[in-house]
Amino acid sequence: MRKIIVVGDMKTGEKDDLLITHALGSCLGLMVYDPQEQIGGLLHAMLPLSKINRDKAEANPYMFVDTGVPTLFKTLYEMGAKKSRLVVKAAGCGNPMGRNEMFKIGERNYTVLKKLLWKNNILLKAEDVGGTKSRTVNYDLSTGQAIISSNGVKEEL
Amino acid sequence: MEDLNIIAKVEAFPSLPGATAKLLFLLKDPDAAVAEIEEILRMDPGLTANVLKLSNSAYFGFPSEIGSVHKAIVLLGAKRLMQLVMTSCVNSVMNKPVPGYDLSPGEMWRHSIAVSVAAEGLIKELNTPKADEIFTAALLHDVGKLVLGEFVKDEIKKIEKIVSKNVSFELAEQIALGTDHAEIGAKILESWGLPAEIVSAVRWHHDPDAADETSTLIDIVHVANVLCLMIGIGVGREGLQYKPSSVVTKRLSIKSAHLEKVASHTLGWVNDLADVYETNQKVQV
Repeated sequence: MRKIIVVGDMKTGEKDDLLITHALGSCLGLMVYDPQEQIGGLLHAMLPLSKINRDKAEANPYMFVDTGVPTLFKTLYEMGAKKSRLVVKAAGCGNPMGRNEMFKIGERNYTVLKKLLWKNNILLKAEDVGGTKSRTVNYDLSTGQAIISSNGVKEEL
Repeated sequence: MEDLNIIAKVEAFPSLPGATAKLLFLLKDPDAAVAEIEEILRMDPGLTANVLKLSNSAYFGFPSEIGSVHKAIVLLGAKRLMQLVMTSCVNSVMNKPVPGYDLSPGEMWRHSIAVSVAAEGLIKELNTPKADEIFTAALLHDVGKLVLGEFVKDEIKKIEKIVSKNVSFELAEQIALGTDHAEIGAKILESWGLPAEIVSAVRWHHDPDAADETSTLIDIVHVANVLCLMIGIGVGREGLQYKPSSVVTKRLSIKSAHLEKVASHTLGWVNDLADVYETNQKVQV
């Protein structure tokens, strides 16, 4: 089944599911997969830290990296995934041109993700992050294959 | 040199619908009577229905239901009413796919209202002196893409080659086509007879440092636009290939927390407004 993940959302699935998210600008697209169980999830988080808007984070943890990432992992563990088997990939975290620090939301999203993963001893298997591209993710949960496309150019992550 | 074909397309671009143009003229007049405004709206039932639905939307939120045009005019006031009229008018113009920028149907419209609500959110968050025209300026900032899109599509290889040398997308449009979507947008709005400050905010929305005169309108539309692209609302083929101005962020004293706070609200606000139209479409089907 095709499942679309909008901004500030997360969906999990199993074999035969295709998780898709569009228009990753500075947002983080995080893919987590357990190849043995053939289950996985895709998160599309907008902002790095939930402290910016606690009410929103409570209503929807997937808007923020610091609340969305742990919730994604927890959901998969509840579905039977094992930490030692997980394959984790990241896409997005782009930034507009120039050095204006205020607008580096993509960079901050990536930093918060790396800190969370590091604290939990989890490595990123692959990433396609940064730059000014807008990306679309097609995540096939039969194989764990992630295809990142941007302006018609498709690449496997 | 601007392409003559582009100029011809700008001239052939639909003018503002009659009722909207009349209202715009009337609402600028402080002495305009409520009855006159009511009369124009009465002639256009579609517009009236949209204005009433919008005035009852969660975004413009009034505690009690607004059931009549008369009540809408009295409660909302001329400025807010004009925003509703423009929102309704822009929906019919923008709710289509935009070639060149590769925007699917509805994306341009969603981006336009997103920039409007983000701009209003920024003004509140920054405690900037209120700028009445901000909603309309933000709503219309990309109208030029509707004309320039097909030309961008024809020259996309050339444009992307320029862009690959770390040139911003609107500058690449200038180099390849002799004009850019901001300039074309400003020309359209000039022909619609919109106020100069709105035209200027549209013209300089990607290059605020080049404006002859700075204004809050230009600065806020510039920032709100980049922010909405970053969070993926209406981000097209050009991605984030635009450069936010450091002069503007300094002038507005913007911190990253301001941007993130407004971003965290923007989607909800957009959905509040877009729901009105989605319900509309469901009714029509």
